[in-house]
Amino acid sequence: MSLANRMTLASPQITAISVEATEFPDLAQRFGVQGVPRTVVNRQGAFVGALPEQQFVSSVLGLAGVNGQPEAVEAEEARQVDRSNSSPLEETSQAD
Amino acid sequence: MSLLNDQVKQQVRERFSERLSGPVQLKLYLRPGSGRLILPSGLGCPTCEEARELAQDLQEAAPELISLEVIDVTVQDSDVTELPTLTLAFPGEEPRIRWQGLPAGYEFATVVDAIERVSSGEHGLSEATVGRLAELTEPLEVMVFATPT
Repeated sequence: MSLANRMTLASPQITAISVEATEFPDLAQRFGVQGVPRTVVNRQGAFVGALPEQQFVSSVLGLAGVNGQPEAVEAEEARQVDRSNSSPLEETSQAD
Repeated sequence: MSLLNDQVKQQVRERFSERLSGPVQLKLYLRPGSGRLILPSGLGCPTCEEARELAQDLQEAAPELISLEVIDVTVQDSDVTELPTLTLAFPGEEPRIRWQGLPAGYEFATVVDAIERVSSGEHGLSEATVGRLAELTEPLEVMVFATPT
C-alpha cells in the first residue's frame, strides 16, 4: 500500500489519489509529470521519487506548509524508481 | 478476458482469507460501453471494462467482507469525471482513497494492500508519523502519479 494511502488511515484530514499517468495525459501535463512516482500535494507543490516513510511525510507536510521540512523535497527530487522487474504482489511494503 | 490469471486470483483469495478482518466498500465509477469508441479526450473510457472485471475479481475474492458498487455515470449523478475511478472505504464512510485509471501492475498491489489495511485498520506507520499527522487541522490531498510498470 502506498504511504499516501496509509496516511489516510492515520488522519481523517488526508485524501489519497493514485493517478495512472498514461490514461490521463491532460492531468499529467497539468501537474508536470515527467517521471514517476510524482507526488502532488494540494494540487500545488510536488516531488518525484520513492521516499522512505519519514522523508515522504516530511516532504508532504512541508509542501502543505505544515511542520515539515521543505528542503528534503529538493534533495530527493531526482530519485526515480524502476519497478519493471518486480512481481506486483511482492511490492506492497515498498515506500511510495 | 480477466486481467488476473487463476494463480493470482488464488493468491489474492488466500491473502484476503488471512488478512481481512472487517468489511470494506469498493465503488467503481465508469462509463459503460465506451471502451472501443474513439472519442475526444475526456469522453471515452478505454479501461472501464477492465476496471470492472478487476473490481469484480477483488470482490469475489472475499465476498463476505468486500462489497462493490458500480456507478454508471451516464445514468447516475456523480461528480467523478476521471474514469474509471475506484474508491475504497469503510462501509458508510466517505472514501478518502481512490485510484483514477486502471489500477494494474504495481498499482494492483497497492489496491490489494489498501483493502487489507482498511479492513484491519492497521496503517503500519511509525508513532512519530502518527503524531505528526495528528496535528493536521486542514484537509490535505496527496495525489500520486504512477504508471502500470
